[in-house]
Amino acid sequence: MERLVSDVNILNKFCTDFCNIVEKHCKYIIVSGFVAIASGRARGTEDIDMILERIDQKKFEKLHNDLAKHDFICMQSEDVSVLYNDYLKDSTSIRYTRSNQPLPEMEVKLSKDMLDDYQISTRQKIPLIGLDVWFSSINFNIAFKEELLKSDKDMQDARHLRVVFKEDIDENEIFKIKKMIREYRLK
Amino acid sequence: MDKSHDDFIERWAEFVRTNPEWRDIHTKFINAQFNMANDFIIRLSKTPSGREKIIELYGIKNVAGYKELLGDC
Repeated sequence: MERLVSDVNILNKFCTDFCNIVEKHCKYIIVSGFVAIASGRARGTEDIDMILERIDQKKFEKLHNDLAKHDFICMQSEDVSVLYNDYLKDSTSIRYTRSNQPLPEMEVKLSKDMLDDYQISTRQKIPLIGLDVWFSSINFNIAFKEELLKSDKDMQDARHLRVVFKEDIDENEIFKIKKMIREYRLK
Repeated sequence: MDKSHDDFIERWAEFVRTNPEWRDIHTKFINAQFNMANDFIIRLSKTPSGREKIIELYGIKNVAGYKELLGDC
């Protein structure tokens, strides 16, 4: 197993390596806990959450094969048809790791509704984080954590993001996203 | 929520916002967790039922994909 003791952050490297491959095939966003952690939140995690735009099986097959070629293994199966039809199409996530190393993992799912589509369309690169990958907006992450997820950990993530990005936060946008969350996820 | 933990989160977030050196501290913190977990997984894999425990812990269905860690099926 790879053991890093250098100044390279294991999670950042894993995320960047994975995103560099996905970028060639479709639009994606990194969401939730890793956004807070990459922004300096001092807590542990085992996974990074990624949402892909809705792609068909053929496109997914190319992506999966490219990931496999670069030493990413899917924990659920190597059968593209199983992964696409039994998991992704059902809005169930699949998980990729480096071969022979169950941690960390990338949890991947397809966009499932207008809210996810909107997240993808408003994706951004965040200079302060210093990673060349696409994130869902800080406003989106705060709204999801405060309105939908709501665990202690999520509320603390939101608090962290509110302090770190205090100059960039748009309360009107957060309000609008929370309204969409109630409409699409809490009805 | 724990008030003292909330205070810590505010203070640390403010530190991140204003001090570029947060990155080194944070990297060591993150890497230590993964190195510790991965070292443990290797030790666990060498115990009599370690293989089964790892498969159960991480919900690995594609066991063949982790040959080096889990051995042949």
